Amino acid sequence: MLDEPFGRRSLLRGAGALTAASLAPWAGGCASDDDALTFFFAANPDERDARMRIVDEFQRRHPDIRVRPLLSGPGVMQQLSTFCAGGRCPDVLMAWELTYAELAARGVLLDLNTMLARDPAFAATLKSDSIPALYETFSFDGGQYAFPEQWSGNYLFYNKRLFAEGQVPAPPKTWERPWSFGEFLDTATALTRRAGSGRATQWGFVNTWLSYASAGLFAINNGVPWSTPRMNPTHFNFDDDAFIEAVQFYADLANKHRVAPRASETQSTSTPNLFAAGKAAIALGGHWRYQTFIRADGLDFDVAPLPTGPALPNGHAARSDIGATGLAISASSQRKEQAWEFVKFATGPDGQALIGESCLFVPVLRSALTSAGFAGAHRAVDNLAVLTEGPAHSEGLPITPAWEKVNALMDRNFGPVLRGSRPATSLRGLTRAVDEVLRTP
Amino acid sequence: MTLRDTAVTAVPGPRSRAAGPLRRRAWAGRLFVAPNLTAVMVFMLFPLGFSLYMSFQRWDLFRPPRFVGTENFTELMVDPLFLIAIRNTVIYTLGTVVPTVLISLAVAAVLSREVKGIGTFRTIAFMPLAISSVVMAVVWQFVFNTDNGLLNIMLGWIGVGPVPWLIQPRWAMASLCMVSVWRSVPFASVVLLAAMQGVPGNLYEAARIDGAGEIRQFVSITLPMIRGAISFVVVISVIHAFQAFDLVYVLNGPNGGPETATYVLGIMLFQHAFSFLEFGYASALAWVMFAILLVLTVLQFRITRARSWEASRGLG
Repeated sequence: MLDEPFGRRSLLRGAGALTAASLAPWAGGCASDDDALTFFFAANPDERDARMRIVDEFQRRHPDIRVRPLLSGPGVMQQLSTFCAGGRCPDVLMAWELTYAELAARGVLLDLNTMLARDPAFAATLKSDSIPALYETFSFDGGQYAFPEQWSGNYLFYNKRLFAEGQVPAPPKTWERPWSFGEFLDTATALTRRAGSGRATQWGFVNTWLSYASAGLFAINNGVPWSTPRMNPTHFNFDDDAFIEAVQFYADLANKHRVAPRASETQSTSTPNLFAAGKAAIALGGHWRYQTFIRADGLDFDVAPLPTGPALPNGHAARSDIGATGLAISASSQRKEQAWEFVKFATGPDGQALIGESCLFVPVLRSALTSAGFAGAHRAVDNLAVLTEGPAHSEGLPITPAWEKVNALMDRNFGPVLRGSRPATSLRGLTRAVDEVLRTP
Repeated sequence: MTLRDTAVTAVPGPRSRAAGPLRRRAWAGRLFVAPNLTAVMVFMLFPLGFSLYMSFQRWDLFRPPRFVGTENFTELMVDPLFLIAIRNTVIYTLGTVVPTVLISLAVAAVLSREVKGIGTFRTIAFMPLAISSVVMAVVWQFVFNTDNGLLNIMLGWIGVGPVPWLIQPRWAMASLCMVSVWRSVPFASVVLLAAMQGVPGNLYEAARIDGAGEIRQFVSITLPMIRGAISFVVVISVIHAFQAFDLVYVLNGPNGGPETATYVLGIMLFQHAFSFLEFGYASALAWVMFAILLVLTVLQFRITRARSWEASRGLG
């Protein structure tokens, strides 16, 4: 080798040139969009297309503002924290109702009231067209850290054919005239079918959301909010008798009455698939399931409100949960004015009309909810009021910067209750643990 | 100036001609090592030092770090979940290392025999080495499926009812250990097999002449002769078990469930760092894990060395 120094040098030079050549376009690619407004969001492929329609329409109306979308992978908070720690916090970012407080408390998000104060016309539009509960979901510690852009509360989907075949009356059509826990159980029991072996061939009810959150939604419909107060809570109400009663009712659906599958029975087929395949009569889920169900072959479905529990007075309207994503502006953004224009467009009447037409989301402004575009995108639904009135009939979940820790505790402690190995009264212990986390996060 | 320096200066011709290529060779050597050295410094030494620095700070990535002294360590010592994570890690380590060593010894003993078709058998036995942990965990999820999983179907053939492998906390830890053993056995077998093949054949011949059977030969010749390899396998397996994360994350979920059944130190570290954004606390945990491993490894080597010393004096 030493006899051929040029050969070795050529090799090193070649390797160097190759490395430089491979890095050049990458570095250039990073630099090319540096003056664009960055928009960070999470979406599945269908939702990404819908979001991109909003981005495209915004750029058509504001040709001077270029938008660079940043699609998040799994682990939104990890990705976001990495961006921000590296000094490149996105200008506009999607905010989730349960986790935005973590960012707001750390000073990552801009208080949008500062922008609203300079834009009274938009402030007036927002005030007259918004649903207060959704808007207030993003009001934290005296600031407004995001504007809602879609409602993702939960309701019931039901299979019309299975109801007709079972000669079971259809569920109610509006949140104002709900059904009771008892009626719900009778319906689910009547629609559960078993083979000779005792194995269910058709379930009366399946849950397609997080189990413990769904159990908590039944508790909301038994008159108990998750926490007191909702914002910066000091106490979680898992020890409330009515909360415990509702969670026990929910757990019994699978473990005692056997009208819903247990965890082991959904290991091979997911619950949305059970409903899509016509093997479940009622499914609890949010609008993000709509696209899956509308594409399922031969599935004729409609939507219905949740049942209410015995602790609520007769005639009390049923409740969904808030369930929302919003758009926020980074406090460190160098393009706050452009970001404001984008947020205004996406959360204002024009952007919301596009959201409503997409068939993928439920908008949050009244004008978009009652628009022909939203109705046209949901022609398959007879009980459209469940969707259009859903946001106004939603109750908020706790907003706390310690949500991740609370969530981990809930995940652990609801498990044995929902599996039927412990009674719901054991959740009293969880209340103590959660309250401790709230005191010393 | 020394005598040698003077000599070099006094006779410059042939020495400097020889030093040129030598210097170039040394320079080329450094150049070749430089990328690796840089990588080691950037990706290993710097994070190591940085995590030690961070373990005395409170840092959430968004705000500047704040010095908190040993607060992270003291909080860790009274964290009830830390005790649960330690307990689970110990169970997982024992449930993985002991079966791995025993099964690997048996597998290596079988594979060391010269019988027909042993090549194919060796290839099959080593295949799990080539599969990533995540793929492995996903496949095992199907195997552990309560209603339609391969394992429960096979147990059904012998009249055993469905076992809730990943659903019930106790079974979840057992399932995790099973997969981990399945993953660790090939590597351990390779090491033990190599060691077994290094045992001189005349020892076995002598033992056979003395009337020792297969088992006696294995216990009295093979095991003492491969003690070093077994020790290595134990240390590596303990370190791997302490670092368990990927398998648990995919097989039992990001919280190490159900409940806290598979909440091991690796999951705790990940959760605090990336879910709760408590990087200082997670760094402190990482250093505590390092300290535990260091103590265990030193103890292990001390015990092995003592045994070797006894063995060399005929006391083993």
